[in-house]
Amino acid sequence: MAATKPKLDISVDKPTPYTFDLGLLLANDPNPLPPSTSSGDLEERLAATARDGAQALINQMLTTLPLSSTPAGVLLTLPQVSTRLPREKPIPAQKEKTKWQQFADRKGIKPKTREQRREKSRTFNEDKGEWEKTWGYKGKRKEGVVPDDWVTEVTEKSEREAEDKQKQKKKKRKV
Amino acid sequence: MLRQVKPRNARSKRALEKRAPKVVENPKTALFLRYTTCSEVCQNALSDLYALRTPLAKRFTKKNDIHPFTDPASLEFFSERNDCSMFVFASSSKKRPHTLTLGRTFGHKILDMIELSLEPESYRQMSQFKTRKPAIGLRPMLVFSGTAFDSPTANEYTMAKSMLTELFTGDTSGDKIDVEGLQYLINISADEPAGDEVKPAIHVRVYMISTKRSGHKVPRVEVEEVGPRMDFRPGRIQEPQEDMWKEALKKPKAGEERTKKNVSTDLMGDKLGRIHLGRQDLGDLQTRKMKGLKRSRDMQDEDTAMAEDDTAKKSKN
Repeated sequence: MAATKPKLDISVDKPTPYTFDLGLLLANDPNPLPPSTSSGDLEERLAATARDGAQALINQMLTTLPLSSTPAGVLLTLPQVSTRLPREKPIPAQKEKTKWQQFADRKGIKPKTREQRREKSRTFNEDKGEWEKTWGYKGKRKEGVVPDDWVTEVTEKSEREAEDKQKQKKKKRKV
Repeated sequence: MLRQVKPRNARSKRALEKRAPKVVENPKTALFLRYTTCSEVCQNALSDLYALRTPLAKRFTKKNDIHPFTDPASLEFFSERNDCSMFVFASSSKKRPHTLTLGRTFGHKILDMIELSLEPESYRQMSQFKTRKPAIGLRPMLVFSGTAFDSPTANEYTMAKSMLTELFTGDTSGDKIDVEGLQYLINISADEPAGDEVKPAIHVRVYMISTKRSGHKVPRVEVEEVGPRMDFRPGRIQEPQEDMWKEALKKPKAGEERTKKNVSTDLMGDKLGRIHLGRQDLGDLQTRKMKGLKRSRDMQDEDTAMAEDDTAKKSKN
């Protein structure tokens, strides 16, 4: 293979090395342009420097940056932009804290977590051995609203006793 | 001042929020406009630059009587109205023929400006090159060559470099790029300074890149010019005010936005969210609603069921 196809030159040799900002896909070539007398007209010289620049940039990108193959294609992960470019608008000022937030900061009050908020809504019923809702639908009934023993069985004996009691009361009044 | 307008409905509120200052900024939009007199060469150059900048660009077609270096108030107004923080202003006058003024704004106030006078003899339009053209919105590779751009002190060339970098690099927000997308190169080169009188020219050339198998891991690169071909000479400049420049270069403290968990974007750019559901209890499934199956009756049923359970337990004991 190598004998039939000679390897093409991919190296770029310049007296001053290139510097790169790969976040912007940018290469700086600090070498002066080749002098006009030495080789060809301006366009040829510019094309030659552009080719060298492109080669150097692509060499740098393909060798240093992490590559990932995805169904969409081969993706290069670019680093952060290192050239300092001015912003478009000033950095937004931080929002002023509300009176409550200031107070909470001063007292060290932190918002309740989800667990804390749920803590009270369920109580453990030891008799049944399960968690029950403290309030709301299917929750525990409030005491005193409807008593648990709102209906009781009446037997003949208890009825008789009750009647006896009433009779004794009446007697007492008459006396 | 637009920002002090209180939004009256949700749509205008969103629109204002979109252009409000952000910690992580959107890519800059550039405005392309012309002076009352503007040579054909200059107009063509403006359209070529506009074509390279799209889609992050806005174009004005009407003539504007603006002198950027004497009274930039109109430019500042346009910047605010259109939310554009860069502009390219084409003009041609007897004193300064074929001139492009590039400028940037910071907070809708002029930050810096540079005047580049185009050489009409060497200018070639993009359409004059009969080659395939780079797709719209593709990010170019940039190569700055020449010693002038490497100057340690701020001068016309370092400013031109900064300005042209911003003009040509499109959206830099994504951190991934397809290797197939590395299709074209913009080479900006400066001549060697010959003497003190003549400022060296800046050559802007755009090339398509073709790659050949080299036998190495990295391909061999060849270039083909696609235009536009522009040669500039720097003219007047307006350097940024020191405090404004400092403010503009400030980096926000918490620059990195916290990534949201379980939210991702798929190939088509659709937002996907992964949510967690508990195991579904089919016993609780809501079937047909009927009067006979009201809550109160449900409770009674439960009570009787409980009672049955109790008796069962007792019998076991």
